[in-house]
Amino acid sequence: MIRPRWQKVFADLIGNKTRSLLVILSIAVGLFAIGILETNHEIITADMLTGYHNTNPANITMQTSGISDDLLDTVRGMDGVDQAEHLRSFSLRAHTGTSQWLQMDLMAIPDYDDFEINTVSLMEGRFPPKRGEVVLEQSKMDDLNVALGDTLEVELPSGRSRELLVVGVVQVQTLGAVSGGGGFFVANPLGYVNPDDLGWLEQPNTNNRLVITVLGDNEDEIYIQTVAQEIRDDLKADGVTVNSAVIRKRSSHPTAVYVDAISQVLFALGALVVLLSSFLITNTLNALLTQQTQQIGILKLVGGRRWQVALIYLVLILVYGLVALAISIPLSARAAYVLLEYLAGQINVELQGYRVVPAAVYLQIAIAVIVPQLAGLVPVLQGTRIRVQQAFSGIREEDSLQQHGWLEQKLARLRGLPRPLLISLRNTFRRKGRLVLTLITLTLGGAIFIATINTRSSVDAYLTQLSHYFLADVNLSLEDPERIARVTKELSAVPGISLVEGWAGATGEIITASGAVADSAQVIGPPVDTQLMTPTLLEGRWLLPEDARAIVVNERFRDSLPGLQIGDSVTLRINGKETDWVVVGFLKMAGRSLDSMAYTSYDQLAHLTGSVRQARLFRIAADQPNRTLEEQSELARQVELAMRDAGYTVTEARAGLMVLDKTDDGLNVMTSFLLILSGLAAVVGSIGLAGTLSINVLERMREIGVMRAVGASNRDVIRMVLVEGLIIGLLSWLLSLVVAVPISKLLSDLISMAIFSTTSIFVYTLNGPLLWLGVVIVLSVISSLAPAISAARLTIREVLAYE
Amino acid sequence: MTISRHRNPPEAPPTPAGAPVIIDLREVKKAYHSPAGDFWALKGISAQVHTGEFLGIVGRSGAGKSTLLNMISGVDSLTSGEVLVDGISIHAMDENQAALWRGRNLGVIYQSFQLMPMLSLLQNVLLPMDMSGMWRNGRSVTRARQLLDEVGLSDHIHKLPSAISGGQQQRVAIARALANDPPILLADEPTGRLDSGTADSIMKIFEQLVAGGKTIVMVTHDQSLASRMSRVLWLADGSLVQTRTEAMA
Ligand SMILES: Nc1ncnc2c1ncn2[C@@H]1O[C@H](COP(=O)(O)OP(=O)(O)O)[C@@H](O)[C@H]1O
Ligand SMILES: [Mg+2]
Repeated sequence: MIRPRWQKVFADLIGNKTRSLLVILSIAVGLFAIGILETNHEIITADMLTGYHNTNPANITMQTSGISDDLLDTVRGMDGVDQAEHLRSFSLRAHTGTSQWLQMDLMAIPDYDDFEINTVSLMEGRFPPKRGEVVLEQSKMDDLNVALGDTLEVELPSGRSRELLVVGVVQVQTLGAVSGGGGFFVANPLGYVNPDDLGWLEQPNTNNRLVITVLGDNEDEIYIQTVAQEIRDDLKADGVTVNSAVIRKRSSHPTAVYVDAISQVLFALGALVVLLSSFLITNTLNALLTQQTQQIGILKLVGGRRWQVALIYLVLILVYGLVALAISIPLSARAAYVLLEYLAGQINVELQGYRVVPAAVYLQIAIAVIVPQLAGLVPVLQGTRIRVQQAFSGIREEDSLQQHGWLEQKLARLRGLPRPLLISLRNTFRRKGRLVLTLITLTLGGAIFIATINTRSSVDAYLTQLSHYFLADVNLSLEDPERIARVTKELSAVPGISLVEGWAGATGEIITASGAVADSAQVIGPPVDTQLMTPTLLEGRWLLPEDARAIVVNERFRDSLPGLQIGDSVTLRINGKETDWVVVGFLKMAGRSLDSMAYTSYDQLAHLTGSVRQARLFRIAADQPNRTLEEQSELARQVELAMRDAGYTVTEARAGLMVLDKTDDGLNVMTSFLLILSGLAAVVGSIGLAGTLSINVLERMREIGVMRAVGASNRDVIRMVLVEGLIIGLLSWLLSLVVAVPISKLLSDLISMAIFSTTSIFVYTLNGPLLWLGVVIVLSVISSLAPAISAARLTIREVLAYE
Repeated sequence: MTISRHRNPPEAPPTPAGAPVIIDLREVKKAYHSPAGDFWALKGISAQVHTGEFLGIVGRSGAGKSTLLNMISGVDSLTSGEVLVDGISIHAMDENQAALWRGRNLGVIYQSFQLMPMLSLLQNVLLPMDMSGMWRNGRSVTRARQLLDEVGLSDHIHKLPSAISGGQQQRVAIARALANDPPILLADEPTGRLDSGTADSIMKIFEQLVAGGKTIVMVTHDQSLASRMSRVLWLADGSLVQTRTEAMA
């Protein structure tokens, strides 16, 4: 026969199903969150690496004036080079709808059969493309507005258009690998075409891109850098210009930075959810032990020692944990995969198949076994401390010695409030310990919710700050440098334009003291009095008209030369020429998500590149501020037409907001994750509230019976419980407004550090609190409804018989 | 009826005078502390109980009877004095030791039965054996069934306490008190909630137990029961008094 003590555990488990469900659910929610997070983290980290490895990503990507087959063979024979391939990479504009054009990148690989670097995986259709066909990269296909089997219209440099048949869709995990951390998100749509079509697409038949994998340590950027340097020197000797060289470790997937950022934040939130659920466990167990005081007395009366009695409850908690585990392990595995599939597409990771993640299972087991025990320890130890006599008489000497708290006294003195409200108020505060725990749970839930929204806004604020660098409504790029005065005159005919600035621009390389290339950098030369950017300076100052070769650089530039200070001199190689520049300021831009950038004055850069009074880049402002993306696009269209009519070759006319729009995509992934977690926090919070209210109602059965006996109607009883729930909900709302401050700061900083590698801009929007207020009211009503109705349903006899 | 396993073999009718002292109360005082000040529920009680006695503690409500019984069972702390049971000073033990000792050596019966509501009658009787380390797999169950049989409940052993009458519940409480075959039973108003017929049957069980060698200390405010006990201590306002009239005045 089963021992009575275990029989009691079993009876407690199934005897009060609501309570058991409450505890099990609150444990399960925490486990579920952790299970999902750990599964996602493990699989994404592993598959990102494996998948990326499998594509054999280039360690060095060089954009050159052209690499012949012979030269490629030479490169292949060089020290440190494992594999080398060349290809044609170019950009065209694709037609995405009525009068909508989008810049897209195209690649023509000379030998598709023998193409081993930056390989792609076929998702649909076929690969490689034959003549007149294009195979598109999957993640940006939506932007192009085409599907498999459709034709894609591209515009050639001459203005003529061609139609390409979309015959395949591929996943390209190296997409965005040649630009900064956020490269994937800001990457243009990508397509692969047949090399025999190059002429037909008005492209020179030269292979301008060189991709290389290195022999030796392909995880060592410094080493890869030195290999690249030798290749560059060799190419230079052969008369090839290298416009840019991008170095990338073999393991560095383009979205890895985002994944890290998301992981950190999610784990922080996951831990908070577990913490929340443990408060809930503490609360429920507190109530359980209070309810069972008499039973504890009996157990001790018949010989139970304190630890024996405590053990009974700890075993009960263990069983709760195990049941929760049985629920959460399969459920979190399923949910994790649903999320993974969504996420994999968003961050361009190729999933390597479904599998159980042992670490996620172990982690859940460990949490299920340990956390509830910890959460239950205090209530159990406290509850089992009671002496037999105190348990039976219901009198604890400490209690009778206690004065009424200040709160009770204050409440007692409240006048002018309606009597039922007073009763609800008094009930709310009666069990202070429980109230505090419920408040903590709900408050944290709310604070996390609000913080999530603030975090998103904080990132938006960052983007807004970033947008101050891109104030122009239209960015026009021309094929060749043109005289600024002429272009300005040409554009004055376009209605809606107030200002045109010609900017100088070049791609350069940052040269270290030892002569190696630290990074490639965009060198940008706005007019010194530009009105189309308002830089934010971290240190130093902006450019002055009297500056000689001065530059102001962004975070990534600064990182590429460790120890760089204001006033230091930096060597830049621009168009093959090395020149020295003095750093006068550090900019706050968007951290690692952008390339290295250096701003200097138009005059300096134009002089250096030999294009004085000329420009290829024009920044155009509309005559009305705050145009939308659509309005900007329309203006861009007008600008382009006008320029084309005037006989210029336009590379691109892009709406100013486009850059930000794309950066947003990456952040939306993160936001959806944050929302899922704050949803879980809300669930835990409401379970907590429902639990507290039903326990409160249970404890007051007698009182409710008396109320009914003296004529209180069902509605009165229901209203009393509802009001109590609302009071707790609103109180927690107020508190969460405050608690959200540090949590917002923490989350925003975590994300900012990871993505932008700088602390965040603190933002506290009203949206979070308002939304949460709505949620709290609904939650409070829903979670107090069940206890309220069961309270009203009690007959007087039942209630008075209850002990 | 042979409820005892003959640990104390029946030696004909009890002879308190000559029998050894099994409970020795020495100047027992108990004060309850409250904001209003200390209240002395026991003002210095000295008394002895002999093996095989059926001792009554009788007094009016509030006299301190329950408090006194709690001092003997060790479920509450005393303020000063000493209680020796079987030569052991029970208030010198820590709470855990006292619980274990109590589980093995005392059976305690309350007016309100104090049964575990979610355990069957059988499980309730098994509980003391389980909690005080006296569990012997098959034998414990056999004994519990036997005890329930002896209090006339063999048909109900798998029922919950709520499914039986008050008198039956008190029988379960007695069976439970006997689970570890303790030499001493303490009963606090065991018939207080029962009608007179049922109360009588409980008293009969007690009388048989005493006849079987148990020592019973029973608290009651019902002086009519005094005649059925071998000796009575009269209690009034926390002190022992000599006569019924003093106690019940
Ligand atoms: N826990 C307690 N705190 C304060 N006073 C108590 C407590 N328990 C009992 N008393 C008081 O001690 C006195 C004796 O109580 P009790 O021993 O229960 O009396 P009896 O059992 O004789 O009716 C009573 O006046 C009672 O009010
Ligand atoms: Mg009493």
